[in-house]
Amino acid sequence: MGKATVIPFGPQHPVLPEPLHLDLVVEDERVIEAIPQIGFIHRGLEKLVETRDIHQFIYVAERICGICSFGHSLGYAETVEDLMGVEVPKRAEYIRVILHELSRMHSHLLWMGLAADAFGFESLFMHCWRLRERVLDIFEATTGGRVILSAVCIGGVNRDIDDVMMKAIIDKIDSIESEYKEITDTFLKDSSVKSRLVGVGHISKEEAEALCMVGPFARASNVAYDARMLGRGGYGDLEGFEPILSDEGDCYARCKVRALEVNQSIAIIKELAAKMPHDGIGEKSKLTPPAGSQAASVLEQPRGECYYYARGNGSKNLDRMRMRTPTSQNLAGMVKALEGCDLADVPMVILTIDPCISCSER
Amino acid sequence: MALHTTFETIQTADLLALAEKKRDEGYRFVQMLCVNTEQGIDALYAFMKDDRLENYTICGIDTAVETVPSVTGFFLAAFPFENEAHDLFGLNVTDIAIDFAGNFYKVAMDKPMTVISPAQKAAREKAAKIAAAKAAKAAGKDKPADDIEAKLAGMDPEKAAKVRAAMEAKAAKEKAAAESAKRDELEAKLAGMDPEKAAKVRAAMEAKAARVAAEKKGGE
Repeated sequence: MGKATVIPFGPQHPVLPEPLHLDLVVEDERVIEAIPQIGFIHRGLEKLVETRDIHQFIYVAERICGICSFGHSLGYAETVEDLMGVEVPKRAEYIRVILHELSRMHSHLLWMGLAADAFGFESLFMHCWRLRERVLDIFEATTGGRVILSAVCIGGVNRDIDDVMMKAIIDKIDSIESEYKEITDTFLKDSSVKSRLVGVGHISKEEAEALCMVGPFARASNVAYDARMLGRGGYGDLEGFEPILSDEGDCYARCKVRALEVNQSIAIIKELAAKMPHDGIGEKSKLTPPAGSQAASVLEQPRGECYYYARGNGSKNLDRMRMRTPTSQNLAGMVKALEGCDLADVPMVILTIDPCISCSER
Repeated sequence: MALHTTFETIQTADLLALAEKKRDEGYRFVQMLCVNTEQGIDALYAFMKDDRLENYTICGIDTAVETVPSVTGFFLAAFPFENEAHDLFGLNVTDIAIDFAGNFYKVAMDKPMTVISPAQKAAREKAAKIAAAKAAKAAGKDKPADDIEAKLAGMDPEKAAKVRAAMEAKAAKEKAAAESAKRDELEAKLAGMDPEKAAKVRAAMEAKAARVAAEKKGGE
């Protein structure tokens, strides 16, 4: 057995898009312990709820993260709607789900590109991001923004998607779907990809449950939980919903779950677009959260379950708004996945968790 | 299945027993958060199983004297939240499995989330005033009216009619006095204004009065 050495990893590292630091305790080339450290970019966004009213805070919520931006505005709006007992029209709910699933597609494609870049498959990275651009084009055409959409309001959505635009979206998704199949085949069948991912950073189902992991990270270890199963909003009107699972529990399984979830998102968008109701898109609620009221809800973000909590004080401002992001919940699992892996595999293991430090440090 | 959310209050002494029970029952630790209140810090723990999201709150923790035990012995996933609660709210959590001892977040000031901003203070005072005014209005409207009506019902009808007429006359007089005071106040304000602007305000007021009068006439 070699001598234990501590190797600092990050916060600046080529494989990390955001600052995360790890103290890796290694013996020879094997990691025996990993101690994570975040907190380099804490911005105090939750505190801003005291100076921005409930409607203004939507714009703060979607700036928490550039990838989950729509999801955060949606989760926040749903929680405040619960707080005030606001009903949202079905059409608005469907539009919300469609935009949320498009967000999932672009997030997963972005992640797949980063993963391909990390294991040295440059052309695969470029193909993933090329397809992602087309999803962003849909956002631009429907909401005017490519990253920050400002599409949600408390009580509905700000913009409708008419039938002509919906048809154009479906046509574009069809074209993405056919090209996406080639990418998926490469990710899941190519031997060079498999040799880099299979068996690396393994987490069993029991470990995943004990560590309370969420999202594709947990589903890759066969934990059958996806917040979309709860059927909130448009998800409740789907013919059926089954989470994508894999039982391998390694980096390859995490890659597989995300790759297949893009297909699942495409199916959800098509189904809801086909049965879009015409009962209006709702309007900004004029209610105020009652003093002492509190509400909590969960939303399946691309990286996993996100928990939202709001407490009202009788004014147009909230007393407290909390977003618990999936990365915070998955830190314990990441530490576990790193234990016992080779030093060269550390970047790959961290990436397959898809950590979002901006989300975690609001 | 739909999400069922519950909120309950617990004592600090019951926290570890609750966490152990939830782990044994197969619940997942969802998160822990803090809320800064006038009574102290509220610490809220959330657990989830299937479609049940259960939230348990320890209310009004005085961080200067009280400590809270860590639940990381049962749920390791709680360590980021307990360290965060310490760094941002000053909550003293004992025996955290991975304890950063105040170095989890690199924040510029100590316990930043416990600072009550002027905006928050003003919002709380305003909400309290509105609530108090509403309560006073409701009490003032209901109670005396009930009392007077009860008294009048027990009176000689002729005398009761006289009392009613006197009350109505008094109310009309008070209303006229209030309107006159309002007019005087407005005139005083206009006198202190730029003459051109004051003339514009007067013209707008006269036009509004004429419109209201015309609407009344039309209605009749």
